[in-house]
Amino acid sequence: MTAKMNETHEDNGAPHLDPTTPRYLTPEIARIHLGSRNALHVTVLNDRIYGGVYAAYIFPVRQPRKFVSLRYKNAKGEEIEVGIIWNLEEWPQTDRALVEEALHRHYFVHTITHIHHIGWKYGFIAFDVQTDKGPAQFLMRWQHDRAHDYGRGGKVLLDVDENRYLIPDLGTLSDKEREEFLRYVYW
Amino acid sequence: MVTTERSRVLQKDLPHSLQDELAKVHIQPNKVWLCTDTDLNLSGNYEQVWLAVSDDALAVLAEPKQAGQPAVRHFISRDEIQEVRVRQGVGGGFLETIVDDIVVVVLAFSNVKADIFHKVAGKLEQWMHKQAIEVDASDDADPRHCPKCGLTLQFKGDVCRRCVNRGAVLLRVLKLMRPYADKAAIMMVLVLIGAGISLIPQQLVRLLINKVLAPEQASNPPLDLATAKHWLMGLVGALLLTHIIGSLNNLGVLRLNSYVGTQITYDMRKRVFDRLMQLSIDYFDRYNVGQLISRVQGDTEQMKGFVQQLTTGFFQQIIMVLAVGTILFIMSWQLALVTLLPAPLVVAGSIWFWKRVYPRYYKVWDSNSKLAGVLNTILSGMRVVKAFAQESREINRFDRSNSYVRNSFRTVEYTVAKFNPTIGFIFQLGGLLVWFIGGIWVLQGRQITAAGGKAPLNLGDLISFLGYLWMFYQPLTQLTQLTNWLTGFLTATHRTFEILDTPIQIAESDKPISVPDMKGHITFENVTFGYDRHQPILKNISFEIKPGERIGVVGKSGSGKTTIINLLSRFYDIDHGRIAIDGVDIREMSKTDLRGQIGVVLQEPFLFRGTIYDNLTYGLADTTPEDVIAATKAANAHDFIMRQPLGYDTYIGERGAGLSGGERQRISIARAILYNPKILILDEATSSVDTESEKLIQDALLRITKGRTTIAIAHRLSTLKNSDRIFVVNRGEIIESGTHDELMTLQGTYHKLVKIQTELSGNVDSLQANVK
Repeated sequence: MTAKMNETHEDNGAPHLDPTTPRYLTPEIARIHLGSRNALHVTVLNDRIYGGVYAAYIFPVRQPRKFVSLRYKNAKGEEIEVGIIWNLEEWPQTDRALVEEALHRHYFVHTITHIHHIGWKYGFIAFDVQTDKGPAQFLMRWQHDRAHDYGRGGKVLLDVDENRYLIPDLGTLSDKEREEFLRYVYW
Repeated sequence: MVTTERSRVLQKDLPHSLQDELAKVHIQPNKVWLCTDTDLNLSGNYEQVWLAVSDDALAVLAEPKQAGQPAVRHFISRDEIQEVRVRQGVGGGFLETIVDDIVVVVLAFSNVKADIFHKVAGKLEQWMHKQAIEVDASDDADPRHCPKCGLTLQFKGDVCRRCVNRGAVLLRVLKLMRPYADKAAIMMVLVLIGAGISLIPQQLVRLLINKVLAPEQASNPPLDLATAKHWLMGLVGALLLTHIIGSLNNLGVLRLNSYVGTQITYDMRKRVFDRLMQLSIDYFDRYNVGQLISRVQGDTEQMKGFVQQLTTGFFQQIIMVLAVGTILFIMSWQLALVTLLPAPLVVAGSIWFWKRVYPRYYKVWDSNSKLAGVLNTILSGMRVVKAFAQESREINRFDRSNSYVRNSFRTVEYTVAKFNPTIGFIFQLGGLLVWFIGGIWVLQGRQITAAGGKAPLNLGDLISFLGYLWMFYQPLTQLTQLTNWLTGFLTATHRTFEILDTPIQIAESDKPISVPDMKGHITFENVTFGYDRHQPILKNISFEIKPGERIGVVGKSGSGKTTIINLLSRFYDIDHGRIAIDGVDIREMSKTDLRGQIGVVLQEPFLFRGTIYDNLTYGLADTTPEDVIAATKAANAHDFIMRQPLGYDTYIGERGAGLSGGERQRISIARAILYNPKILILDEATSSVDTESEKLIQDALLRITKGRTTIAIAHRLSTLKNSDRIFVVNRGEIIESGTHDELMTLQGTYHKLVKIQTELSGNVDSLQANVK
């Protein structure tokens, strides 16, 4: 995956992106496409082509389909925001798919679909679960900052290696699984 | 390239099938000096992907999943690469290179592999610049993983929870009791005596019924009234004596219990606090204050519980069950067996109950600590709450936590309320069974086998038996909680021992070098350091500061300015490189000499609750009032102190409440003057004070920095005009260094910053002019 480096106005004559004002990208003024060596590129009308772009949610929990920030890292290592996609649904299917793929790449999160067993191990909570990426066993410290709320009914768990495990909605677990989960992660 | 013993992590064996593919892109497998694998592919899915690096190029390979799919996913020659870097994603990261102004995402990795690829990026950076690289077994050393089992530790030097010896915990607790062994032994003897005494009354009751009240049913000759009265008085007197001895014995047990329990708790709390004082700042960055308070206060309190359990708790109950059980079998083994009928039910029910209710106790504990945390936050931030008129919001927030405590308590207590009557009912059933069977046997005059041979069961035996029955069931129920109590106790004790076992990261060297009269010659040699796992804050920085030199440090927030002074004071130890003062590595230097000769004035000076004088002389026992006055005069603090109602003896609140920011700062400067440090660090010393205070503080600083090596961090560049040299720090590197004039001539970052601040200042001036 490659991309042409983007620099500020001083570097290459491109229009300077004002970091103090949000720029909302719409299908009318921007195109999202793959550039050289299959890197994600964004072409903005009356501006330029940005390469090496990655996508990040602004409100990953509240509004995951809206407010997606498209960004790149310049040669100085500074993160620059190319623009914000206000609503992903408004974009053509191909553009949307590329952004979704970029988001998938940026967020390495296991989504827990079933809980087989939870128990104590070495003073940690030991999870044996089924995830969208296959079966997984992991250890989590029994601390509040290791399990965050995700929306109204979900939880994000961080294991000892800071890998993320998401339960989007505890309501989707079976009664037994939910009861077992809440016995340990009750906050 | 220098290679010695192979690294297990960075010099893995590439699978044979991929070796052939590597050869196809003209990288000979035997020329590969770095070979490691990652767990993710660039689509963010699990896949084993390999990175192989030779002297001339790098390649990324993976087993093709479909026919026609290339095994080599990237091939980049070294000469093409302009930069190697790591970009952090969420839950993982990416190794990137820049080739001909093009970003190439080389590979992705999950957080499990993050440490490895940060190390790889460092090696590739050297490789790219054609520097000598060492890859060997020393690269496998990973302070963030347990060397024994590989479990990820919370921070460098953390105790591995998997490897900690749990069995030894009880032994360690018992060792703590060693100084009180004599008292503990007396306590246990008293407990045994108490158990023996508690068995007597039922025998006296038995005698009372069989001999005095209903002798006929026990086939005893009836007594005349006078004799019966004597017997009655004698037996009641004996009962009274038993109770008096029992109470005195109990008094002794409880007193000793309290003495030993509180003393051991005191000892433990002292040990934990002493340890906390020795631990590095890093440790306090990792744990919040509330948690540590809970450990020092709450968890150590468990020691008292342990002593109580040894005496009035489980030890006593075990003795009682054994003693009463023996008596029951001696009295009548047949009835004793009937007694045991509900016992399995009671034991099974109790185990089931505690298994369910125990996690709920944790919830109670959690709710209490949460409430304390909320209260702490609200009360500490009361100024902000009031400034934003958010009282009602905070009342609601507190109410939510308060409700949580109430509800969690209710859950436990409701469950206990269900359990206790149920167990009570089962007991009643047992009692009724004994009443019924025993009653029939008494009526029938049935012969039972007791210790003294066969004899008919009489009323006295039955009443006494029932008395013992309750004494048997009660401790039996409590013993079912032994495992749960033990688990809770071990958990709390374990948390306490975790602090005691945490290695002192900033430890004194085995042979500390004494530097009693520091000159203040500072050198940083290739220093790299990061607070967090994957983010170095300072990257390979080197500089030298001569004795007496005044250095200004400027840079954006987060650029690493404060980190430099944290490292110089050895609040943290560096990851790589060397920091020396007067040629001595600070890790080898005596900590007392090091910190005793470095004075720090912070942006937000911390003052303790106490008088102004106490704060000024903090840690300086020999200071005279004359010294103090001289220091406050030099710090422009004397006059405002004298305006306080009690002058230097004015009591100031927590964190210096009652004084303005500028006043607190001047006290802090006076403290630094009294300290008379050889190296003075000023960290944004004037940034949070008004202009008038700033002028007073600047004047004071000018006086005290004379002849001392001074490092001053400041956002307001005007405050650095007296510096001999200025360092411009950006993203963990010193990008410019020189005098003010040199840096202005350079027209670089410093010049830009000065220009921005001059413009801002100009705007303010014009604004003020307009207002006028």
